[in-house]
Amino acid sequence: MDLNPCMKHQLIRKTVREFAENEIRPRAAEMDKGPGFPDDLMEKMKPLHYFGLQVPGHLGGADLDTVSYAIVVEEISRVSAALGLCITVHNSVGIYPILRFGTREQKQQFVPPMAAGESIGAFCLTEANAGSDAGGVETVARETAHGFVINGTKIFVTNGGICGTILVFAVSDSDPGKPGVFIVENHTPGFSVGEIEDLCGMRANPVASLFFEDCAIPADHCLGIPGQGLKIGLTALDTGRIGIAAQALGIAQAAFEESVSYAQARQQFNKPISRFQTIQNYLADMAVQIDAARLLLYRAADVKDTGRPFSAEAAMAKLHCSTTARMVTDLAVQIHGGYGYSREYDVERYFRDAKVTEIYEGTSEIQRMVIARHILTRPT
Amino acid sequence: MKILTTVKKVVDVELNIHVENGAIMEKGLQYVINAWDENAVEAAVQLKEAHKAETTLVSLGSGDNTDIIRKCYAMGIDNAIHIDDPALAKADSQIFARVLQRVYEAGDYDLVITGKQAQDTDAGQAGIMLGEFLGIPCVSNVIEIKVTDDTHIQVSRLGDAGTEIVDLTLPAVVTVSDSINEPRLPAMRGIMMAKKKKITVMDLAGLGTSFEEVGGTARKSEIVEFMAQEKRKGGRKFEGDPAEITAKVVQLLVNEAKVL
Repeated sequence: MDLNPCMKHQLIRKTVREFAENEIRPRAAEMDKGPGFPDDLMEKMKPLHYFGLQVPGHLGGADLDTVSYAIVVEEISRVSAALGLCITVHNSVGIYPILRFGTREQKQQFVPPMAAGESIGAFCLTEANAGSDAGGVETVARETAHGFVINGTKIFVTNGGICGTILVFAVSDSDPGKPGVFIVENHTPGFSVGEIEDLCGMRANPVASLFFEDCAIPADHCLGIPGQGLKIGLTALDTGRIGIAAQALGIAQAAFEESVSYAQARQQFNKPISRFQTIQNYLADMAVQIDAARLLLYRAADVKDTGRPFSAEAAMAKLHCSTTARMVTDLAVQIHGGYGYSREYDVERYFRDAKVTEIYEGTSEIQRMVIARHILTRPT
Repeated sequence: MKILTTVKKVVDVELNIHVENGAIMEKGLQYVINAWDENAVEAAVQLKEAHKAETTLVSLGSGDNTDIIRKCYAMGIDNAIHIDDPALAKADSQIFARVLQRVYEAGDYDLVITGKQAQDTDAGQAGIMLGEFLGIPCVSNVIEIKVTDDTHIQVSRLGDAGTEIVDLTLPAVVTVSDSINEPRLPAMRGIMMAKKKKITVMDLAGLGTSFEEVGGTARKSEIVEFMAQEKRKGGRKFEGDPAEITAKVVQLLVNEAKVL
């Protein structure tokens, strides 16, 4: 069993880190005042294929394996979790369902502009009365002679303020028990973006509510077959979880690195605080959690690449990576003391960014449900 | 147009180098592409993109150079040759230039682009010697390459007093400055495709030569000792009231450092 990264993965990490350190790092704190990402930064990311990470070459993407994909998200999130969020949501729940369930025509029509970064993807499931319980969705897709008419409001949509291609989870008006996933483009009449959410973290990402008022779309904008929505949604979330796990890991790694260097530089009682056993214990705990998180993440990604079911592995990775991000950023602030609570220091941003990784793309409670279901139904 | 570009794997000098008994210790060393060679690769790839040139990279040295070659593939290089021969561990610039001469003669190249020097030795000789051995023109410290027609290029060479514009008849050698371009970061697709490309690896015999024939046994220069640069001592940091710190620093400059 070889747990060492191969040369390709090393090169990908090095390349993305160089880009992130040179191009994103100098602007990350400013971006956090948000919302939105600088246009020139987004332009620089397009030719590097950050918007089409796992898209096949003939549709304009880089055709990365999932471990490589996780490394890219991890490295971008290590510098700006909000931008990492944009990239992972666009690539996973934005593009992946079209690649997996779309017809040849749908792939040809929607994927190339997304892979080129010209149209940013969003996936909307959450509503005022639906989130963890997808069955509570009230957005309706009414079938007409020409296609579907969508009505409803989606909330907390990542990339909401900049999205071009939106996957909308909606129930059928004739059979509310059979939801579907519909592709809506941002120029569709009746579509509008609400106010950008004023969130605790991920402030650069324009998370918003999206409104669909008599949004008429052609019949061929239904992804998969009508009624297949739950399967598409769950599959999208499985792959999305690998991305969010990678994002959480990137945040944890960043907070850890800052903590190590601060602990070695900060002097109290005439010695660096890294000489105190309490601080050493903190750093050791952080390192162990991060290492375990990374192994769980790459295992989930590897299982996905081999074509085996990866739902439980992705849930375990997401659960542990996000818990680690919260724990490590908390300790990072503690190690930094008063400075860690100040916006002058990046760990304050990491601390705010980490929490939501335990909430979106399935809360930690939902991850435990998924894992438990897998344990209890697996043949022993 | 067929372009040959050379790439050297060098020790990452930004990391600590341990020296014992006049020799660099291998343990803990990390290797990177010589920075100027990365400029040469970028220049070759830009010519490929603008003029449909075919680009071939050659890397000399013993050991595994796969990682640096894959990076160059990811940047857009078409073919790569690695002359991997243990004898080259003791080569000097002249021997390297002789080997490059053999590589050049085995292909049908119009232009050779090298970095103007290697960041580990700063010798800056191999490219110029190659031009001499081949009997073709060589311009060093080049900051721009323009293709005039199939058999001519125009290059800009940076000098102390200004920039020279030089017309060159091909074939020719140019050694490039780091001002010529900003080497690109490989795109993700490039990295994925680089994995699939073949690297031609051969020893000196495979190239149709021998260490003796490239001057190895009659070596005219030899590194007999390496002395690491003395490390700069860390500075001292003073915190607190500015007036108190100023007084303290002045006192230290007078009494301890004795510079005032």
